[in-house]
Amino acid sequence: MYKEEENSKPEFMKRPGINPFRTPDGYFDSIEDRIMKEIQLTEKKKSTSSIIFRILKPAFGIAASLTLVYFLATYPFTKNTINAKVSSTYSAPIKADSSLSFLLIDESTLVNAIFSDEKSPVADINPDEMLAYLSSGLNEVEIYSEIQN
Amino acid sequence: MTNDQQILDCLKDPSTKELAFRHLISKYKERLYWHIRKIVLNHNDTDDVLQNTFIKIWNGLDSFRAESSLFTWLYRIATNESITFLNQRKRKMMSSLTDENEYLVNNLESDTYFDGDQWQMLLQKAIAILPDKQRIVFNMKYFDEIKYEEMSEILETSVGALKASYHHAVKKVEEYVKSHETRFEP
Repeated sequence: MYKEEENSKPEFMKRPGINPFRTPDGYFDSIEDRIMKEIQLTEKKKSTSSIIFRILKPAFGIAASLTLVYFLATYPFTKNTINAKVSSTYSAPIKADSSLSFLLIDESTLVNAIFSDEKSPVADINPDEMLAYLSSGLNEVEIYSEIQN
Repeated sequence: MTNDQQILDCLKDPSTKELAFRHLISKYKERLYWHIRKIVLNHNDTDDVLQNTFIKIWNGLDSFRAESSLFTWLYRIATNESITFLNQRKRKMMSSLTDENEYLVNNLESDTYFDGDQWQMLLQKAIAILPDKQRIVFNMKYFDEIKYEEMSEILETSVGALKASYHHAVKKVEEYVKSHETRFEP
């Protein structure tokens, strides 16, 4: 395909490939100086910034260490405060509801109630009354069979 | 100090580095200038790119491993700098241009350092509207007569792909020239 191309060269390629561009007079004479000047400027900028960095490096180090120490020292407190804030924000307030009133009874009251010598209100009830109460839901046959047993 | 190896040896020595770099600029300034000029077309843009190219070369001297020739390495940097420059310019001008190659055509028409006749202007316009890769390959082959093998090293592309690029570029330039040539024929 490329050999074919060479044989049938397009018309424009039969003309010599002349460079139609030019440069300003004496342009190439001063290029070295200009470029070297620019390179020196860049090098100077680089070295200035590296000097500044070298001077500030210990200060940056100290600042970073102090920040780290401060953070480590205050973190546990911050964590507690955050927990407290979270719990106060997200926990539902306990209403003075009668169903939860037993939660408000203090420990000594409970101990007294259990171990006191006071007679239980159940002790005053007559055994016959108790039997009548318990058998109130039963029919006669059931009561008879219970007694027989 | 005219030999590339001599220049490279002196560049390694801090006491002769600057002098050697001056020699390097002196040796390659014109070849690199014309290579860049054919890509960006305008003299002022070429001047900026050439300066950036030599600064890049200076900064990258330590990374040059001599796996390729000095000439190839310099051409590669110049090509990449030119393409980067053009892409930046095109991106900036995109809002006001309908076609991204219009930037190059405008650049060509506004260049005061163009000495060619009408036909050469037409040819340059035809080259300007080619895709970047095809344009670079066409210029290197048609104007600079660089061998495909050498071009392959510079552009890091296979010889086959370069031949195909050149073939497509020639066809497009031919079509453009044919369709526009009659306008100024006597």
